[in-house]
Amino acid sequence: MTTFQRSPGPPPVPGPPVTERTDRVSLHPLAWWAWGAGIAVALTRTQNPLVIALLLAAVTLVVVTRRDDSPWARAFGAYLWLGLVVIAVRVAFYVLVGLPDGSPVLVDLPRIPLPGWVDSIELLGPVHAAGLLGAVYAGLRLAALIITFGAANALANPKRALRCLPASLHHLGTAVVIAVSVTPQLFSAAARVRRAQLLRGLDGRGPRAFAGRLIPVLQDALDQALALAASMDSRGYARGHRPGGDRRVGALLLVALLAGLIGTYGLLDGTAPDWLGPPLLAAGAAVAVVASVLAGRQVRRTRYRPDPWGLPENLVAACGVAVAAAIGLGAALEPDSVSASLSPLTWPTLPLSGVIAAGAAALPAVLPGRSTR
Amino acid sequence: MRRDAGPGADVTAVPIGRRLGLTLALASALGVLAFGWPLLVDAGATLDDATSAPVVLALVVAAGLAVLLVGVNDGGLDVKAIAVLGLLSAVGAILRPLAAGTGGVETVFILVVLGGRVFGPGFGFLLGSTTIFASALLTGGVGPWLPFQMLAASWVGLGAGLLPGRLRGRWEIALLAGYGALAAVLFGTALNLSFWPFLIGSGTEISFVAGAPMGENLHRFLLYSLATSLPWDLGRAITTAVGIAVAGYPVLATLRRAARRAAFGSGVETRAGVAVRGESR
Amino acid sequence: MIEFQDVSVSYDGTPALRAASFTVGEGELCLVVGPTGSGKSTVLGAACARVPHFSGGLLSGTVLVAGRDTRDHLPRDLADVLGVVGQDPLASFVTDSVEEELAFAMEQLGVAPALMRKRVEEVLDLLGLAPLRGRALADLSGGEQQRVAIAAVLTAQPRILVLDEPTSALDPGAAEDVLAALTRLVHDSGITVLLAEHRLERVVQFADSVISLTPDGVATAGAPAAVLAHSAVAPPVVELGLLAQWDPLPLSVRDARRVAGPLRERVRTGLAAAVGTTRTGAPNDRADRTPSGSAALLAARGLHVRYGAAHAVRGVDLELPAGEVVALMGRNGSGKSSLLWALSGRGRRSGGTATLADGTDPADLIPAVARREVALVPQAPSDLLYLPTVAAECAAADEQATAAAGTTASILDSLTPGIDAARHPRDLSEGQRLALAVAVQLAATPRVLLLDEPTRGLDYTAKAHLVAALGELRAGGHTILVASHDVEFVARVAGRVVLLAEGEVVADAPAEEVLRDSPTFAPQVAKILAPVGVLTVADVREALAAGAAAEGPP
Repeated sequence: MTTFQRSPGPPPVPGPPVTERTDRVSLHPLAWWAWGAGIAVALTRTQNPLVIALLLAAVTLVVVTRRDDSPWARAFGAYLWLGLVVIAVRVAFYVLVGLPDGSPVLVDLPRIPLPGWVDSIELLGPVHAAGLLGAVYAGLRLAALIITFGAANALANPKRALRCLPASLHHLGTAVVIAVSVTPQLFSAAARVRRAQLLRGLDGRGPRAFAGRLIPVLQDALDQALALAASMDSRGYARGHRPGGDRRVGALLLVALLAGLIGTYGLLDGTAPDWLGPPLLAAGAAVAVVASVLAGRQVRRTRYRPDPWGLPENLVAACGVAVAAAIGLGAALEPDSVSASLSPLTWPTLPLSGVIAAGAAALPAVLPGRSTR
Repeated sequence: MRRDAGPGADVTAVPIGRRLGLTLALASALGVLAFGWPLLVDAGATLDDATSAPVVLALVVAAGLAVLLVGVNDGGLDVKAIAVLGLLSAVGAILRPLAAGTGGVETVFILVVLGGRVFGPGFGFLLGSTTIFASALLTGGVGPWLPFQMLAASWVGLGAGLLPGRLRGRWEIALLAGYGALAAVLFGTALNLSFWPFLIGSGTEISFVAGAPMGENLHRFLLYSLATSLPWDLGRAITTAVGIAVAGYPVLATLRRAARRAAFGSGVETRAGVAVRGESR
Repeated sequence: MIEFQDVSVSYDGTPALRAASFTVGEGELCLVVGPTGSGKSTVLGAACARVPHFSGGLLSGTVLVAGRDTRDHLPRDLADVLGVVGQDPLASFVTDSVEEELAFAMEQLGVAPALMRKRVEEVLDLLGLAPLRGRALADLSGGEQQRVAIAAVLTAQPRILVLDEPTSALDPGAAEDVLAALTRLVHDSGITVLLAEHRLERVVQFADSVISLTPDGVATAGAPAAVLAHSAVAPPVVELGLLAQWDPLPLSVRDARRVAGPLRERVRTGLAAAVGTTRTGAPNDRADRTPSGSAALLAARGLHVRYGAAHAVRGVDLELPAGEVVALMGRNGSGKSSLLWALSGRGRRSGGTATLADGTDPADLIPAVARREVALVPQAPSDLLYLPTVAAECAAADEQATAAAGTTASILDSLTPGIDAARHPRDLSEGQRLALAVAVQLAATPRVLLLDEPTRGLDYTAKAHLVAALGELRAGGHTILVASHDVEFVARVAGRVVLLAEGEVVADAPAEEVLRDSPTFAPQVAKILAPVGVLTVADVREALAAGAAAEGPP
């Protein structure tokens, strides 16, 4: 059973990134996700384009100063592009099929009525200032939200984040750990197979060549899966795990899902009483956590050198909380500070809360990292 | 290992008992609400804000999925199923770049559909989730869309495992290719639906209007779909069907060989001298 | 520590092991030998409870491991007393860094974190892995990976180690590395070891006992020399000892050399007699392995291969005349594979030319045409194969090579008769799979065949088949260039050896000259009988026959 050998010869295969070293200098991944979540909450609470732009700048600054050279860190550029595309799509749709409003007309494009069953729609038509700005602002907000996710993603090492999965998801977490660890090998195996198939004269780019490349890689992968399972089994994986599960856990999970289902319905239904929405969802979440802890107790295992959570992590997470708190407080005290100021159409002002929030968001750029251990 | 197998599946790598089936049904219902929310939401409901709704619902879907997966996990998984799941997810995650050389086709569903067919509905469900999740982790594709994608891909795998019939050969491939195409279109449309208000905003003629009659929103959504994702979805459907038609036969053979070698379920009857077929090497 | 009481195993009604009874004592190193498919893996699998719990099968009788009956204990329940290491280290890794992999077993057993830290450090030192601790597993060499795999089971502090051909997927340098670590471990820690290994010549001298299996699954256990004398597979030193009827049978070159004096004289006189009587009586017809004067089928001039800053091949000139088997040798990373790929026209080439007999360069031809002239079988022959049955693979190969239907199948049959065409190529033995890949490549009737490390994973029998098959191809006018580390194989197959170092040719001469005097490349027989110029047991047998013939009619 030959699997993914490192062959000595022509091998240097151009492939995606090789596995990087686990570096223990960077922060706990969950700290970055806490920071990102705080900013995301703030972004959903404000529509003020200046505040959003400032937060966006802060996020980008932190990524640029704190990211390393990992593949997911390099993916941040793609998120920036995605943000631009989102804004462009919004604007394009507004220009094409936007609804008229009372604000001044910037350009009066000719109307093109559509025939047939889509006759309710007219393409183009007048472009209003408020509508256009609204499209840009909303696009910006959405882009900022997406880019914030990208930032947390770029800064947090996903492999270390996987180590933080609760014990109740141990098995599936292991499957994902395997998938993530083995992918670089599969990439080089795929390149190796492609070269070998050339030797057989299979140089086509058609679907058959695709099958020719996929099958050997898949076979290697499946053979490796069995070898891996045997190795895990012999090293005591899932020792002491009672098959069949815990009756209490199963019942609690059902209760949690039922609460979630009704709670979500409560969120969507306008006539539902207030307690049916968020409170029920929170209750469901609490039950789920209890079930998860109970289920996790079944898995008897320990952790080798767990990722430390210390002062640097606390500071970064606190920054995220501060951003959300500043915007939330600003919205409560001064509702105008979070509006997009489109009706009436005025130039947005920069509230103090927005400056504080952006400052807090940018702070991790200068906070100390974890010193080498 | 014919016993307990799903209708058309070869083996049941991840058995779904009654309790787990109920959990799965509830989580799926939650998912249906979350996917279809633009059609269901009332004006004045807690969640009629187009920007925060998908994020909130993404959290809800993620939580629902997590609860379901805790249930699966609690039932215990065969270590072989875990390893095969991990490796197949990795293959799925690399399929995109691998296929990019052959014309930029969408290939992820090929493996999810075929994997679900061979290893059964439970495995197919998990394979959908883990493939999308691993691929997002590797390429940095984590966003509010991730839980929706995971759940939808899981449904695709689950459905493939539940496909009827002991068909083999050409008809089986045709069945799977047809299912793959349908699943690809539904996948794209469902995701498009849940992110429709999020992406286009409110100020256009094909925008979502919270609380409008379902028929009207559906009409607007169809127009929006036509303008945005439908061409892509059709492309994805065609490539999935072609991919299954071309690679289906050898991939199925490969997966079935692995399923046979893995001898899922062996080692349970340890007392009575032990049974179960295996494979000599 | 391990006790088999009347153990039989069958898969789907086919018996794989018949009524085996033996005991492996505390601190023993027990070697399991037998041809491919004889149930070595079954014995090892039964010892670690994988048979029947993991891989299925029907087991009768009793297996006791450290007093635990495997009927009531799953493999995971033995994790604290027994560690298992497989063939391919990379396939056994769950995580992707050395330290995490070492900790994995202890995490599963719930060892306290402080103790885990301590044990990881101890095992890192025991196997000399401390400098690699933070490295990514995929970046390590094969030998380092296998040492990590051994370390990863040792952290659970097992009292028994089961190793299933731990070096079969490794090149010889790496294999050496692993076996050295293993023997040190046995001597230092007194751990009980059950080992299946096909490089018998490397380990047999350390074994305390041997279990030999026949192809139909009958096991014989006992002292190494006694068992190996009747075993189906044996290293050259044992074969030579049997030929010379030495008693007790020596197991190492050192022991053999001490009793080899008389034999050396007989071989010397035999060789002299052979030279004196006939011109063609040279041992094993090696003389006509190097025909002279025929035009080169493939010639390289000043070949260079660079990968970024690395300069893998530096100005190699090489001629491959028809009807010759040339071996390409050299340490890891000396540019062997790069040279083969550059010659095939499909690999990278940074300078120089390769020309076929008609003056064209294979790199200028499209792949489907180039393979009609030069065929390369890569290190992993299965990379070439992608269909679910041997028959489908053969049919596809005929179509791709535009050969008549049945061409590939008949080539395959001539290389290795009797392969069931309905089988999955992955279910074939390593040797059969290699033959299939070679047949697929030969379907396009190329005259030059390039083989990259073909003996990896082959046992003695499969190697003998390969030697015979290559001999027939050579006789049919093919020219064959084979890159190999395997000196015993090269000694039997090649007429000429090209030695590469740092990407340059440092020797290009007949095989005897290169192999006989080299401290690293000399085969066992040459080491035992030096300075007499013989390389293989077959050479010795012929020399003795020639000597006897010369003495016979005085």
